[in-house]
Amino acid sequence: MTELASASAARPATRRRPIPRGVVLAFGWILLMILVGAFADVLRPYSITALDLSARLTPPIGFGGPITHPLGTDELGRDVLSRLIVSIRVSLLIAFGATVLGVFLGGTLGLVAAHFRGLIEQIVLMLIDAQAALPFIILALSVLAFFGNSLALLIALLALYGWERHARVARGLALAASTQGYMLAVRQLGAGPWRLYVHHMLPNISATMIVSATLAFPEIILAESGLSFLGLGVQPPMTSLGNMVGYGRGYISSAPWILLFPSIVIVITTLAISITGDWLRDRLDPTVS
Amino acid sequence: MTLLRLHKVKRTYSTRQGLFGETEQVSAVNGVSLSLERGRTVGLVGESGCGKSTTGRLALGIELPDSGDVTFDGTRLPHPNTKAWKALRRRMQLIFQDPLGALDRRLTIGAQIKEPLAIHKIGSPADHEGQVHRLLAAVGMRPDQAASYPHELSGGQRQRAILARALATSPDILVCDEPVSALDVSIQAQVVNLLLDLQKEFGLAMLFISHDLKLVGCLAHEVAVMYLGLIVEQGEPATLYNEPAHPYTKALLAAVPDSTRRGPRPLLSGEPPNPAARPTGCAFHPRCPIAVPKCSQVEPALLPRADGRLVACHLAHVESAAGEKVS
Amino acid sequence: MLLFATKRVARAILTVLIVVGCAFAALRLSSDPALVVLGPDAPPSAVAAFRAAWGLDQPLWQQFFYYIAGLLRGEFGRSLLNGADVLPLVGSRVLVTLEIMIPALAIGILVGVSAGAYAALRHNTPKDRLVMMGAVAGFTVPHFVLGLVLVLIFAVHLGWLPSGGNDSWRSAILPVVTLSTGWAAVLARFTRSSVVEVLGQPYIRTASAKGLLWRAVIIRHALPNAAIPVVTTIGFMVGGLLAGAVVTESVFSWPGLGQLIVTSVAARDVAVVQCVLLLVATAMVLSNMTVDFLYTLLDPRLRGGRH
Repeated sequence: MTELASASAARPATRRRPIPRGVVLAFGWILLMILVGAFADVLRPYSITALDLSARLTPPIGFGGPITHPLGTDELGRDVLSRLIVSIRVSLLIAFGATVLGVFLGGTLGLVAAHFRGLIEQIVLMLIDAQAALPFIILALSVLAFFGNSLALLIALLALYGWERHARVARGLALAASTQGYMLAVRQLGAGPWRLYVHHMLPNISATMIVSATLAFPEIILAESGLSFLGLGVQPPMTSLGNMVGYGRGYISSAPWILLFPSIVIVITTLAISITGDWLRDRLDPTVS
Repeated sequence: MTLLRLHKVKRTYSTRQGLFGETEQVSAVNGVSLSLERGRTVGLVGESGCGKSTTGRLALGIELPDSGDVTFDGTRLPHPNTKAWKALRRRMQLIFQDPLGALDRRLTIGAQIKEPLAIHKIGSPADHEGQVHRLLAAVGMRPDQAASYPHELSGGQRQRAILARALATSPDILVCDEPVSALDVSIQAQVVNLLLDLQKEFGLAMLFISHDLKLVGCLAHEVAVMYLGLIVEQGEPATLYNEPAHPYTKALLAAVPDSTRRGPRPLLSGEPPNPAARPTGCAFHPRCPIAVPKCSQVEPALLPRADGRLVACHLAHVESAAGEKVS
Repeated sequence: MLLFATKRVARAILTVLIVVGCAFAALRLSSDPALVVLGPDAPPSAVAAFRAAWGLDQPLWQQFFYYIAGLLRGEFGRSLLNGADVLPLVGSRVLVTLEIMIPALAIGILVGVSAGAYAALRHNTPKDRLVMMGAVAGFTVPHFVLGLVLVLIFAVHLGWLPSGGNDSWRSAILPVVTLSTGWAAVLARFTRSSVVEVLGQPYIRTASAKGLLWRAVIIRHALPNAAIPVVTTIGFMVGGLLAGAVVTESVFSWPGLGQLIVTSVAARDVAVVQCVLLLVATAMVLSNMTVDFLYTLLDPRLRGGRH
């Protein structure tokens, strides 16, 4: 009886439960977004900078617009659908790059803190405190405005979003794992740090780190779109979802579709990733909040 | 032939609260001497917190003593994590209390038994498969169980798997730290019998650490009773169990359930031992039913008695001297 | 407890110093205020005079030292653009921001906590799921999208409310609704999980087994205990509040702190940006510290100062 209970507690992933319908839908949407992003160049009917001054501010299909521009056009006659498709690619790429970078940065610092303890750990904890004391958007505003913005800087900056949470999680996990019997056991078998960390520690903490990353991903999308909305993120002629909303804001009364479509994509995408993240967390690791 | 010798080893931990906190000295092992021989088992018993697990780690060289020394095959143990230390892991192995925790739950049993072979580069990777099957057979498991994950096995089987992993490098010394206390009683007996068989087969020297006197009595050739970092009594299990000389041993034995006993049991009273605040003199005196003023002032030495036993108690020696005079 | 408090305060001060120091270094290294103010074509003599007047010709660490010394005397610096003392400027904007933040926070707490408690008491029913779906949606809709959609509906289409500015109390309605939605959603999720957890505790089951009225059990035992984590969450939300305010103020052209930071960042007015960063970091550290102390007071287990 106790045996059974401990076995199932140790490995909940082996229990097969049907995946909730909402999660399936979320998965479907994420997959769709990834496909759209991957094949953006094939899918978009026009170039994002192609002007069509004869078809300025045409409404979407169903609201009196022509079939040539299914989601309408903007003030310069650029095709909203094409811009949306490219924006999805840009936003996803930035968010993905920033998340990976952030998990790597935070995870490494967390592991370093847990491995060396002492002064190094105190310094890392101090950095975490300092980061937590400064709302990200205010930090980002100052840095972007004064350093100018390139795509690389934007991604690096967004990677700072949430690194302190990843660092906390990784440090906590590593500290917990190093007191676990299996780490001690492998160490006393004579294993070196490579075997300890890469063969044993990483696989054991990776599930939680992935959950932590999934929970940060939608927030990074929101942060990027917020910055782009304020005009400090992605710069024209490149386009991103937040950038489109910011641009469409000037035409809110005359051409609301310009901002509505990217808004809808932002909301559904972050919602879908949040749902998936919550589900993954419940499934893999209920200890992360 | 003495394989491993601990000579007056001491180990003190300092714990600190935060960056600017005060340090607190906790003396875990306070001068313990033991020796292990091939094919023989020394049992180490005592309450939790008495320093028996620390003694086990010192014996293995996972930690170095603050003073005193540990010699293996005549040479001192090297610093942890050095090359020599890692090479030495091959010859000394540890069995843990918690068999599930000591296994990586994401790797199969077979992969984990192979690990020591890979770490110490024993044989070619092609031979490892066969080696795993031989080891599994030696601990009474089926070859197909190499493919199972720790959570798919029962507690007893996990402990067998850990034994197989420990035996992979054909060690000379096995330190077992409460190896069966997490198991059901019926399974405890199986694992203990397995340990006895393996000792005969491989000629292992074993240090068996447990709080369970009865269990230690079943397999040890010599028993050492520890209290607050010191051995208070040491001898062959038969004599030590039949007529315990130290009042602490008496109290421990009295706490073992026994259907044949009549009358009240002399139970341990007073505060449980706290290694951070060691009493003066004999560390046991605040809880000792027969303590005299001398006990709180002078620390008794671990001295041999006429029957060959070692006891650290002022009164036990007086008693035995008096007994010898009478007889 | 006293030792714990001293260490916590020392740590908080150190954190603020690190933030201010990093901001100072980053801002001074990233741009030359003299060129920003005087323009790139200014004669070198004017640039040199400007630098000498503002102390910019001295080494960085010395400037930082003067800056900190000034802070201790209550001098937060002068705007590079018009030489005005930045503190009254920033202070007046803080008040304007609080005009929408306080009502939004109040509404967010009220709606969020009651929705969360409601969902928890109807745990695993369709009503619970409906509330939680609303919370997840409210949590994922970014402020600028929600704000613009509200403008589209209530200002552009219906024409009931103004789309921006702060001329009357009516123009505060949309920003307050925008801000409070997100917080209500976060708090609803937190309150729900906190209450659900407390309801599963043995003492609640004991209390109801003793025959106490369920309502009394909830009011007297469950809610006070569930309040501890919720209170701490509110403390930790301060940073999120400020971030939301920046975007929301931009959407509704609300002339508060968020607008100030956006405009002074655009104008490269280092002194103003620095003052805002200092204020924000101090506010965050103070609120986090308050949370820590509250936690220690509310949860007797943590009183020893051990973690």
